[in-house]
Amino acid sequence: MNKLLKKPKLKITKSHNRYGKFDLSENPFPSEPTVNRESSDPRINGNIFEGKIRQKEYEKIRDNFLMISQSDLNHYRLGYIIDSSYIGRGNGKSAFLGYLQHLINSEFCLDISKEKNKCFAVSIYPEPGGRTKSFQSFIDSIFFSICNTGIIDICLATQRLEAIQNIYPNFEIKDKDNELLIKELNSDEWLKWEGLDFNKLRNYILESDYLQGFPSDFPLFKNRRMLFENWPSLSDFKQYYFDLKKTTDKLTFIFTHLVNFFQSANFNGGYILVDDFERIPDFQSTRQKKDFALELRSVLFDGFYESAKLGFFNCILVLHAGVPRLIAEAWLESGLEQRSPIGSHSDTAHIIPFEKLTKENALLLLGCYLAKFRLKSQAESVTYPFDEKSILKIAEYSEFNAAKILRMAYYILEKAASQEGLTKIDEKFIIENRADPMISGRESTSSIEDLDSIDLKKKAKIKE
Amino acid sequence: MIIKIFIIISIRKTIFLEKLRMLETKKIKSITSVRKFYFLDYFYILLLSVDRFWKMEEIFESFKILKQLYQLGESKYKKLTSESMPTKKQLDRYRYTLEQVIEEAKEYYLISEEKNGKLELTKSGIDLLKIAETKGNREFNLEIFRLMENQYEAFKYIINFAYEANKHKPGLLIFPNYSPSQMGIARKSIKCKDDIIQYLNSLVQRLEYDLEKFIGRRPNLVSHTNKIVNRLENSELLGKNKKDIFNPRDYNKIIKRIRDYWLAVFLKDIYHYEFSASSFDFWIYRGKQIGIIQVSEFFPNFSGRIVYPTSIISEKVNDPDFESLYEYDNGQSLFVHSLMEHQNDEKFVDTLVKYYFDLRKSYRGYFINLLALRELVCYSLKISDYVFEKLLNEVYKLNILGKLKIKISLEVDRLPEETKAIYLKREPVIVDGQVRNIIGIDVTKGGRKR
Repeated sequence: MNKLLKKPKLKITKSHNRYGKFDLSENPFPSEPTVNRESSDPRINGNIFEGKIRQKEYEKIRDNFLMISQSDLNHYRLGYIIDSSYIGRGNGKSAFLGYLQHLINSEFCLDISKEKNKCFAVSIYPEPGGRTKSFQSFIDSIFFSICNTGIIDICLATQRLEAIQNIYPNFEIKDKDNELLIKELNSDEWLKWEGLDFNKLRNYILESDYLQGFPSDFPLFKNRRMLFENWPSLSDFKQYYFDLKKTTDKLTFIFTHLVNFFQSANFNGGYILVDDFERIPDFQSTRQKKDFALELRSVLFDGFYESAKLGFFNCILVLHAGVPRLIAEAWLESGLEQRSPIGSHSDTAHIIPFEKLTKENALLLLGCYLAKFRLKSQAESVTYPFDEKSILKIAEYSEFNAAKILRMAYYILEKAASQEGLTKIDEKFIIENRADPMISGRESTSSIEDLDSIDLKKKAKIKE
Repeated sequence: MIIKIFIIISIRKTIFLEKLRMLETKKIKSITSVRKFYFLDYFYILLLSVDRFWKMEEIFESFKILKQLYQLGESKYKKLTSESMPTKKQLDRYRYTLEQVIEEAKEYYLISEEKNGKLELTKSGIDLLKIAETKGNREFNLEIFRLMENQYEAFKYIINFAYEANKHKPGLLIFPNYSPSQMGIARKSIKCKDDIIQYLNSLVQRLEYDLEKFIGRRPNLVSHTNKIVNRLENSELLGKNKKDIFNPRDYNKIIKRIRDYWLAVFLKDIYHYEFSASSFDFWIYRGKQIGIIQVSEFFPNFSGRIVYPTSIISEKVNDPDFESLYEYDNGQSLFVHSLMEHQNDEKFVDTLVKYYFDLRKSYRGYFINLLALRELVCYSLKISDYVFEKLLNEVYKLNILGKLKIKISLEVDRLPEETKAIYLKREPVIVDGQVRNIIGIDVTKGGRKR
């Protein structure tokens, strides 16, 4: 037979959903539970987060930071989230920080503060190898985070929208998705298409009180007198920052000029959330720690920057349990300890203890992941196919560590999915499968009998 | 002037007499006559106390305060509730320890007792205290080690014994310990004598398997099950009939008896150690502090204790990585594997990276427990905790200067003593003056082979 007509002997069968019997579209748990915000997978990008688990922590931040008016100059400007569980890794601090940033940025804090504040939040993740140890690299991280959050685009769009509404009161902004609107407002083509006068809009924007006294090469003023003018964009801001050589210029740019720019776009505050803060002091000498603390004090509290004068930027540092001891001396010597004591008791308003998960938290944690991948809206129970006791067993074996719980749940579900007829996961199933190296997370590490080890007598070339 | 000469002569005479006494007693004592304490630091706090006070009660007070200050004792790395006063029982124990330390210090002529019971530092004691204060803990321990070896030659015995006991994996002594749950038996299901027998049977199989792997021979251990059961019956922890249910309160006692039994069997019957088990314990832990014997109760993926020498006894060595710590009368020396030369940095880094990735498989995170990594690296390179810390400090400095092909990140998480939840008797790793307990390594920078 001609090969064009030949067919393979085996047919392709449609793959069936292995997790369908559990009323799930996929395995909802991450196999490697680390937060990666760049990922599109909701299991690891921090989008699945059960707020109730960290309700206590959130409420403390809400009541003592977010709801306090930014115009009250005595508002807390520096706070600490301190891990109080015995193992710092995988307890969900990074996920919580992502959640907090999401809550702040979703309505720019207007909802939380009952319209007292309009704030944005950016997150900093110091580099683990110690590259973020200088204050300059720290502020570089702040600027890149500001860029990545899209806040500059939002501000540029806000300024233009306000200008359009004032100059063209009859211009109708159609009800559309916010993201699309921001994109259009930042586009030259859209302005031309809508027939809006570029010069008029720009002049209106630049008349703002907040934008006076800026350097002439600041991105908003760039190309002003050139033949072919363009709207300033995010890349102009980046380029401008790269061209600044001196640290003092960078500091002035971020903590004075950008602060005024943000105010011109109606923001009255910004949150800098610093994850794994110890990655900075861990690499610093005593002198460097003190200098860093002094710089931090200067930009947040009493330097010549606009931010310090207004208390525009608020900083929340996430610390592991051993870190306060590491920086206590620098804080004391730099005067930060007087302004925002790190050595004080955890019941003070600016210190947010981050506690170990409880049994109830473990149920909520798995429940929220399961809910995202549910096939039917009404499942047998929120935690189906797991029963309560099985989840508590998983939590116990995982030492109530969030990352370990999720990882174990992933492998337990995989194992259960491969067993025909099994539709429920109970405590017995967890106990029976605990020894499985994939489930216990202790697979394939060499044990002592397989390790290479030097024979000292041979090495010393001793004849026995 | 005459008085001055007289004083000088009398001091010289005392020194001469001390030396004479030391020479006279150069008979090797039985290693079982060692006093019952592990920490070499006890000598330091005794010398400090005797230096400052002479009345026994005052010495005891000072010893007690310093013991708590340096956190010496069983709870070295457990958070001490310093505000609570020691109980009568604790005070009796402290007093007993002090007496033991005094007795041993007298043997080494570090202190002397006058007729009126007054304790004084001898010239050797004063010198040793000076070493502790000027040269630090390491030198102090080495001096104490020399004094001990002078009298007991216990380390020589233990090191030779270890190499003799295991030729398959030279010098490695394992003391496995598997609880019922580690054997896959739930505690709830152990109720009667028969359940204990089932546990013992599976335990025997596991121990035989371990021995075959670790020491290269498989002794038959089955007869021990009966012996253990008989002992438990005799002490009325188990009944006569298989179905007799034992008192659940005795569960821990029974499991502990089984564990102790097997420890003794391993030491005496399998490795042929001639002395008491307690003497073995005291000498290996002292050896660990000196850095010549490594002891680990937390070796990754092994349940129980492992012991191996990081030194050898030999007349000479043909490798620069060994350092002589002691010379015996028969011409042999104790050489410790010190790896202190700079050319070993690369070998150390390679081993560090190799086992970092090995452990990452089980920890599944960027950061892994540094103490667990230390266990693997020390065993692989046959080095002590002290050498590990030295080398890690060295390569960490290179890392900070950007002179290493990889990036090492050492961080401080919550320390064992800061938590009530865990109790660990493990020496911390101090790098760059900071206690570190987790490590992350990035090899992408230089593309070092995994």
